[in-house]
Amino acid sequence: MADEITADFEKAYPAGPTIHGVLRVPLGQPHVTVLFGPSGSGKTTVLRCLAGLERPTRGRIMFGTETWFDANTGKTASPQSRSIGYLFQDYALFPHLTVADNIAYALKGMSHAERVAQMHPLIRLLQLEGLEARRPGQLSGGQQQRVALARVLARRPRLLLLDEPLSALDAPTREQVRGELRGLLRNQGAPAICVTHDWVEALTLADEVAVIAVGRVLQVGSPDEVFSRPANAEVAAIVGVETVVTGHIAQRTQGLAALDVGSARLWAIEETGRGEEFYLCIRAEDVTIEMGAPPSSSARNHLPGSVLDVRSAGPVSRVTINCGFPLTASITRQAAQDLGLKPGIPVTATVKASAIHLIPR
Amino acid sequence: MNWQAIVLTLELAGLTALILLAVGIPIAYWLTNSRWRWKFLVESVVALPLVLPPTVLGFYVLVAMSPTSILGRWYQAMVGHPLAFTFEGLVVASVLYSLPFAVQPFTSAFGAVDRRLVEASWTLGVAPIATFFRITLPLSVAGVVTGVVLSFAHTLGEFGVVLMIGGNIPGVTRTVSIDIYDEVQAMNYDGAGQTALVLLAFSFFVLSVVYAVNRNVWAAWPMK
Repeated sequence: MADEITADFEKAYPAGPTIHGVLRVPLGQPHVTVLFGPSGSGKTTVLRCLAGLERPTRGRIMFGTETWFDANTGKTASPQSRSIGYLFQDYALFPHLTVADNIAYALKGMSHAERVAQMHPLIRLLQLEGLEARRPGQLSGGQQQRVALARVLARRPRLLLLDEPLSALDAPTREQVRGELRGLLRNQGAPAICVTHDWVEALTLADEVAVIAVGRVLQVGSPDEVFSRPANAEVAAIVGVETVVTGHIAQRTQGLAALDVGSARLWAIEETGRGEEFYLCIRAEDVTIEMGAPPSSSARNHLPGSVLDVRSAGPVSRVTINCGFPLTASITRQAAQDLGLKPGIPVTATVKASAIHLIPR
Repeated sequence: MNWQAIVLTLELAGLTALILLAVGIPIAYWLTNSRWRWKFLVESVVALPLVLPPTVLGFYVLVAMSPTSILGRWYQAMVGHPLAFTFEGLVVASVLYSLPFAVQPFTSAFGAVDRRLVEASWTLGVAPIATFFRITLPLSVAGVVTGVVLSFAHTLGEFGVVLMIGGNIPGVTRTVSIDIYDEVQAMNYDGAGQTALVLLAFSFFVLSVVYAVNRNVWAAWPMK
């Protein structure tokens, strides 16, 4: 009990929705909780309430045994006293200060030597050497993001709050920074809560995902649990990727990788050549179904299995197939009827290698 | 040309601008951050000198300074002479008269600072007042300079208030504008013209500096 953040609060807006934040985050270990949901779902409000920048209307926020907010007693801890790190969506770097002064901003009470000792490893870790004398306006988006991270980490926060940390970056930079950020969050001692609406980001960063919509937490769980087994249709619609399973690299050839998933083996495009454990993400639209045993062709990813479940919503049917792991396909209702799909029927599912999105774990 | 009046006027305007720097910043800070529902009343009071005839303002200040008022009695007990018709009295009146010329540019400059920078500073553990001095004020330098220079320039040209509070005592309360008025009354157009030209040139110079420094914070001219 003592070693976790427990938050259960509401923030009501006069002419808007009521945001309900419910969270439990273990303390004292690197643990990344991702608040995942569409824009306008109140994710940022939850983060701002945790930071003390916004005052909830009701409820309680406890950090271990410290009370950060309690509506009953009216107690509110100031943002200054919470010892957190808050990474703003567009970084909020101080434009009149140099990179070095931005990073050292929170270290004012320290001697020069102490300050350098604290800053130097961060500057090296985040590859900011040589940029110390520049102003934020003279940096690229990726550099700004790293300066903002360094500034936040310099005071050794007890909790990191990240608001859409990658959304201000262009796509190629985002790709690269995503991996770096993941390593960084795993290696620093404090837990992190990260807000995003990008499922790739959520899967890359998260130890635990909380799906939020219209101001409510809909489901909390491990990434594959939330993505593959959404608690209800609302969660499924938000996550948008029907199959997320974990796989282990079995072999690599010419930009392709074979991964063992359950008892099945899948081929996917993997050009980095790094990593052993991956999430395999497959959208239901990219899965086709044929009757009977696999055809004797050289095509990749023919997965024999049997139908587990068929569910129809409107003109679309969602078919779950057990082919060594549960795989969801989306086909027209007419096709499902023509094939006579029922639980237990043997089928072959086909997925193109290029339709499998790999995310390193 | 009356150098004594010019020097006196520069002293008055300089002192007024310095006092407004010290007084205006806390007022503007409060106006920027307060969520008090009656804040607009304070804003109105600060802006009053913009619309009030200087003689009206001067009249009330004079009444407040008179030895029969509480304020006037208190000042006389402290210092030994009344406030009216002294240089100090003139400074007090000028501060009130030029208050909006300092507070309004300060307020709009503070308000233009990105709120998230302030919040970022708070989450980095820096207290609100320290945040003001380390973030808000440095990012508002142009607006603060504008406010100081405008209140200085505005004080240079005041006439009605000076006449009501200070009268026309050479070396004590006789400022440039009073001097020019006197010269004209005495049909000494040459003397009036020389002093007026100095004031015109100086005012033009000061305003040029302000507009060159920053066209965004305060402008009587519409933006392009």
